[in-house]
Amino acid sequence: MELKTIQKKLQKRFGGAVTAELVANRRGGGSVVLSGRLATWQEVIEACSMAAEKYSEIHVVNNIECDEVTPQKMRLPKIENNDLDDQKPDVLIIGGGISGVSIARELSKWKLDILLLEKEADLALQASGRNDGEVHPGIDLSKGSKKHYYVRKGNAMYSQICKELDVPFKRVGQYVCFNNAKLKPFVRIYCQIRKKRDGIADTRLISGEELKKIEPNFADGFQFAIANPDSGCVCPYGLTIAYAENAVHNGARIALNTAVLDMEVQDGIIKSVRTNRGTLYPKLVINAAGVFAEDIAALANDRFFSIHPRRGTNSILDKKAGAFMHSIASVMEFTVSKTHSKGGGILHTVHDNLLIGPDAVETYEKENTQTHRESIEKVFTKQKKTMPRLTERDIITYFTGVRAPTFEEDFIIERGRNTDNIIHCAGIQSPGLTTAPAVALDIEKMAVEILSQTERVEKNPDFDPIRHGVPVLKEMDDETRAEYIRKNPDYGVIVCRCEEISKGEILDALHSPICVPTVDGIKKRVRPGMGRCQGGFCSPLVTKIIAEYLNVPISEVKKSSADSAITFGRTK
Amino acid sequence: MRKYDCLVIGGGPAGLAAAISAHKNGAHTLLIEREARLGGILKQCIHDGFGLVRYGEKLSGPEYAERFIDVFNEEKIEALTLTFVTRIAKTVEGFAVTLVNRDGVEIVASKTLILATGCRERTAKQVSIHGTRPAGVFTAGTAQHFTNLLGEMPTKKCVILGSGDIGLIMARRLTLEGAEVLGVYEAKPTPSGLTRNIHQCLHDYNIPLYLSHTVTRVFGEDRLSAVETAEVDEKMQPVPGTEAIVDCDALILSVGLIPENELAEALGVALDPKTKGPVCNAQLMTCVDGVFSCGNALHVNDLVDYVSESGENAGENAAKYAKRPRNEIPVDSSGALLYAVPQRLDLAADNSSVQLYFRSREVLDGCTFKIIVDGETVFSKKYPFLRPPEMEKLTVDFSRFNLTPQSKITLDIEVKPNA
Repeated sequence: MELKTIQKKLQKRFGGAVTAELVANRRGGGSVVLSGRLATWQEVIEACSMAAEKYSEIHVVNNIECDEVTPQKMRLPKIENNDLDDQKPDVLIIGGGISGVSIARELSKWKLDILLLEKEADLALQASGRNDGEVHPGIDLSKGSKKHYYVRKGNAMYSQICKELDVPFKRVGQYVCFNNAKLKPFVRIYCQIRKKRDGIADTRLISGEELKKIEPNFADGFQFAIANPDSGCVCPYGLTIAYAENAVHNGARIALNTAVLDMEVQDGIIKSVRTNRGTLYPKLVINAAGVFAEDIAALANDRFFSIHPRRGTNSILDKKAGAFMHSIASVMEFTVSKTHSKGGGILHTVHDNLLIGPDAVETYEKENTQTHRESIEKVFTKQKKTMPRLTERDIITYFTGVRAPTFEEDFIIERGRNTDNIIHCAGIQSPGLTTAPAVALDIEKMAVEILSQTERVEKNPDFDPIRHGVPVLKEMDDETRAEYIRKNPDYGVIVCRCEEISKGEILDALHSPICVPTVDGIKKRVRPGMGRCQGGFCSPLVTKIIAEYLNVPISEVKKSSADSAITFGRTK
Repeated sequence: MRKYDCLVIGGGPAGLAAAISAHKNGAHTLLIEREARLGGILKQCIHDGFGLVRYGEKLSGPEYAERFIDVFNEEKIEALTLTFVTRIAKTVEGFAVTLVNRDGVEIVASKTLILATGCRERTAKQVSIHGTRPAGVFTAGTAQHFTNLLGEMPTKKCVILGSGDIGLIMARRLTLEGAEVLGVYEAKPTPSGLTRNIHQCLHDYNIPLYLSHTVTRVFGEDRLSAVETAEVDEKMQPVPGTEAIVDCDALILSVGLIPENELAEALGVALDPKTKGPVCNAQLMTCVDGVFSCGNALHVNDLVDYVSESGENAGENAAKYAKRPRNEIPVDSSGALLYAVPQRLDLAADNSSVQLYFRSREVLDGCTFKIIVDGETVFSKKYPFLRPPEMEKLTVDFSRFNLTPQSKITLDIEVKPNA
């Protein structure tokens, strides 16, 4: 899109309130920078979307001031020390989501000093722990975007990577259902294009009867559906933690509760990175900071794109509802939606619950993960059309995540445009979980190439791709289970009755490579409290086990962050 | 494989009573308890008021449990503690129950099963509380566990949502421990707990009770910092404009109990949507032959005395159980009842002394409970009042109503027109 065209559009819609200019980047490529002032965030989104071309490499940078936006500071960890001061890692990865940890793991194949920073008290606490866990087929993506380029590669890698990392993964298949038989010829053409041109090879159309046989609880009256048997589901935070554990196993280091506060950049080179735990001098920085990727880019003098946070809420239903269906039902919107809202869907999770959602709401708040009753109501109204048996009564929990899209709605996987020693893995949104394994391989290649310019980068001869997760006792046959219990009787003591988790498994999680001795840390690793009573019975028991393990009073055990005490000391 | 006549799942008051009763009626009995000690939830109920109906005494929870545990031990009934049932399979002779404990995995056989699995608490997300996910959101039972079993204070200043009995008990308990209880919020226009608890736990300690109010949101990123309360309309929906922010460090929920029947359902036991417990006959046998239910797994009781009573009933009938065809007819309830147990009568069994439990749907003054058979009132009892939180119990001789497989039994409550 010509700059003039953009300016004309903005002039027409906003008068002189927003102006656009084209800014060239030092190492090539450009950005459309928007400035001015608008009343609402919705208008800001509208202006930036007008200026953006889908999948373009010319990125919109949003400098528009907005009346309704109260600037918010990033939530920072409470810890302040110099534990990491003066370290000189070869690679500094910022962000402990699926992107950062998968890159750390792939880079650990090389003899490199890798340090990953995560500002939260655990990995996968933002978008990577707050999504639906679908491994997408890419049926909604056409050629030309990075999303499309990586989605098939990533999807194809899942069986192998989940096997290596000991993470449950099931290709349950995805169905996009249609009521209107008249659409069938058009959808057939759409599918053929996807299949032939875009390489979404597993796509086929199935009849309403066939669909009913596969998923008898879907609504009557579906005439046909697009089927993608390669689609699957994975536990997104489980995979993130597994990647990280394998990275650590191969020599990478992970610093939790560590936030990047500032950077010193000279002549297009990041010289130092200041954190709440000291100043570091990395050779190469990888920006995998999710909703904060733009902020990190700005610190690196390399802000050539903008992130506009988009939140979505998912509900988890009781395992009893899990029996209603066994695949993924997805709603596809063929109209070009202004908000790029994903349709959301119903998903049978790897843990046999149902997941419903998400919705998509533009927001300027990067860290506001509050849930709202309206989101749940909206999503249920929509999804009940696919499966009328759904009921809010089966909800056991819900959560909100914030996506980190650019205005071009595509990923940014590239070396800095103004700064040489940074690689951005930014704009990661759906299907970012699916693409992560493939993206990590490419960033590994880019990083090794950059580092090789100044030094010899050697293979790590001890690299071990295999991670052993905590054994899952309830999935074992009786003999294997008895054998485990014989070796460690704590495997026979059930602490979480809903998810059938033993004390032995909880202790294993406490002894795991990245020990996060909080109630949520244990919950994310081995699932006590994930069931229908939501920790009502087991949370005091888990708290006590953690206190005993750490040898501290119960009041020292936290739910998650340093300030999330569970109790306040002894009774009278 | 170890073989039993009767296997009781759950070592709380219902399971203890059931095991003792089955044993005394001659059954070779095994009790399975997942916790380390017998007594169930009574272990953490250190307040008094238990046993008034049964013993005419006010006992604490542990004292009440002790009476049964003593008998249980004297009778040398077998029990496995810290043992978890993972699977139950039907066999020709009864059931094969897979157990997991520190000794490994064991399968035991039993002719009958008594499900005394109790109930769990409804959670914040099940009553549509939104906002952040901080520390400091507890169900009342969890707060009670922390306070009474672990000796740890879950709050210094809290709001309680729901006026269920555990919530009321915890309001008093936390106050006595020096915490500030800012109020008990109840979405219904009437309290959910026993009247005596409203007086003894709230009024005596000047803790305000806000009826027709609810909590809609929680705030706080790390530890809970405040809640949003709102008035609710007749449909229990929050009324816009009535929201208020209350600063506190915890939200404690007492918003209902749900019978735990996952094992029952896996066996194919039909549940009553009203009680959320199994549909049972007067012998407390479920629709699956040889599977009995009692206590809070059958329906949520407000007094432990009736929990024990149903346990004894189930235990005795399980001991006497012999497989034979049933001849069951339904016992229907009119809309005036919240629920009634039993839901069925087996005409082939002895129904001369049926223990009938029921609750009214609404607060009613001056009313008559009626049993109607084929349009004719065959039994009636007057009540000065009926309240949903207070369960009523009757012993009725159904054998004198000349019931046939074609009989239509309905339970009803009639309110005096001029009352």
